[in-house]
Amino acid sequence: MAMKETTSAIFGQMYGVYAIWLREVTRALRDTGQLIGGVSRPLLWVVILGIGLNPYFRGEVYGEVRFVVPYTYLQFIFPAVVVLNILYTSIQSAVSLIWDREFGFLREVLVSPMARNMVLLGKILGGATTAVVHGCMVLALARFAGVALTWVDVFQALMLMFVLAFGLTSFGIVLAVHVRGFESFGVFSNAVILPLYFTASSIFPLDPALTRAQMLVAYPEWLVLIVELNPLTYAIDAMRGILIDFNQFDPVLGLQVVGIMMVSLFALALLAFRKV
Amino acid sequence: MSVSVSPALAINVRNVSKRFGRVLALDDVNLSVPEGNVLALVGPNGAGKSTLIDILCTIGKPDSGHVEVSGIDAVRHPLKARQKLGVVFQEPTLDTRLTVRENLTFHGMVYQMCRSERRARADAVLELVELADWGNAVTRTLSSGMRRRLEIARALMHEPRILFLDEPTIGLDAQSRAKIWSYLETLRDTQGLTLIVTTHYIDEVEGSDAVYIIDHGKILACGAPDALKADYGRTLLKVSPRGEMVRATLVKRYPDAVETADGQLLIAIDQTVSADALLAELGTQLRGISVEQPSLESVFLSLTGRDLRDAPTGTSNGTRNA
Ligand SMILES: Nc1ncnc2c1ncn2[C@@H]1O[C@H](COP(=O)(O)OP(=O)(O)OP(=O)(O)O)[C@@H](O)[C@H]1O
Ligand SMILES: [Mg+2]
Repeated sequence: MAMKETTSAIFGQMYGVYAIWLREVTRALRDTGQLIGGVSRPLLWVVILGIGLNPYFRGEVYGEVRFVVPYTYLQFIFPAVVVLNILYTSIQSAVSLIWDREFGFLREVLVSPMARNMVLLGKILGGATTAVVHGCMVLALARFAGVALTWVDVFQALMLMFVLAFGLTSFGIVLAVHVRGFESFGVFSNAVILPLYFTASSIFPLDPALTRAQMLVAYPEWLVLIVELNPLTYAIDAMRGILIDFNQFDPVLGLQVVGIMMVSLFALALLAFRKV
Repeated sequence: MSVSVSPALAINVRNVSKRFGRVLALDDVNLSVPEGNVLALVGPNGAGKSTLIDILCTIGKPDSGHVEVSGIDAVRHPLKARQKLGVVFQEPTLDTRLTVRENLTFHGMVYQMCRSERRARADAVLELVELADWGNAVTRTLSSGMRRRLEIARALMHEPRILFLDEPTIGLDAQSRAKIWSYLETLRDTQGLTLIVTTHYIDEVEGSDAVYIIDHGKILACGAPDALKADYGRTLLKVSPRGEMVRATLVKRYPDAVETADGQLLIAIDQTVSADALLAELGTQLRGISVEQPSLESVFLSLTGRDLRDAPTGTSNGTRNA
């Protein structure tokens, strides 16, 4: 009897998680502003930056050091743009939490028989799903960027995208809980997103053929350090591994970092959400 | 031999206190509501009404005390209690980007109702609040009165046993207010729903089974409206003085006089104050004078020393003073 009750309670909670997920996704897909951003951002990066910088990418020589990345610049930044779109959308999706708080809807959810943690899970799953959709908008440009994908690649990329999006949406929730108001969140999130992105070896490689000593010749030490400390570096590296078979670090390392990020950021979000 | 004949309690609150920093929002509150009753909670701004509602609907946690909702300890088992209660908060809580029906469907889902049940209930509650034609409208396009009705409909989706309404009629026009009260009466009469309503409009609570008057977190008095009037009501003289001089004289003579929002003075009649004396002395200097029989308003006045009518924020109903 008690067993049956517990099962039905768990099933009920999962159903509620589905409802919250559905609302998040519905709202995001109806938000044309967000969709336009999701399309124009990758186009800008791939078309303008990727094509514009393509000629400057190969065979650069810095003294003794020569880059040996066997890819076009377009191919090189393509996986990073996928991650960029996920980064933006995940963190922006946490705005829905601020929205719900400001416009009262959060109370409707909190007074329902949903456990608080399940409310959060639904929200994060919804945000992550939206982010994966936005990541796919970039993937759709693969052919254009000269990246050939097999179905296995796409499947692996989707898995990685989802895990990454889950972690980043959790991160967005943590920010949203601590930041009051929409405007400050916009400013704050940009202040977080762009530095994270630019220091993630997204638009320039740390060449794997270089020793650390050689790398320090090419780049100042602080920059190398920041890049190596930025967890996003490993996420982008893992994405490159999947999409263009190029890794600057141990391929397993990227997956590990992304996994750990997802778990620990979710834990932080759970902690933060108790205060809402 | 007789078993206990008293009806089961829908709500039982014992010695609940709640503090926000330096503000004691609730001070040792006791309250009990038999099933199927309508309880009205009346008090000025900041009295602690919303704080009490939040605790009853398990969103707020009391610092101390015991709260039982439908026989369930609401502090220990909030999730279990929530299935049995519906809430209309003071601030709107609709998702204005979703349609009317989507709001109801979402509610049904988080309350774990199955699809056919959801559809049937959505039809029924929309019918009740006369929004059946608006199911596919985006909520943003509804008027504030319609939104309020939708919130009531939504709170009823999962067939709660107890319905909390925190200022359901504030800021609404007379027509919407009357409609909302007629729905609530229907619900009580047909389904035996227990209703807990807070309001600023004291004329709305005449029909309730019990009125609780609260100020500064304390329950000052409770009872049926007639009993309260008998105990605390006073006959009031409502006087409009001719000019400031007269007003000053009156205030000096009757220091307990309370000024209403429209500039009249309310003076309670008792052993030391008689209408005759007042008229004999100042009768010629008054623009008007009227005698008000004991009303809940005078009960409120004598308990709190405040006129409830200048308490509401937002768009209060100005016509009532005319
Ligand atoms: N979250 C909070 N933090 C700090 N103080 C609070 C909080 N909520 C309520 N209070 C304080 O508690 C007291 C009671 O507030 P409450 O909202 O319960 O009043 P109310 O009777 O509902 O008033 P109103 O008629 O304006 O809705 C007020 O003094 C208010 O300032
Ligand atoms: Mg209130």
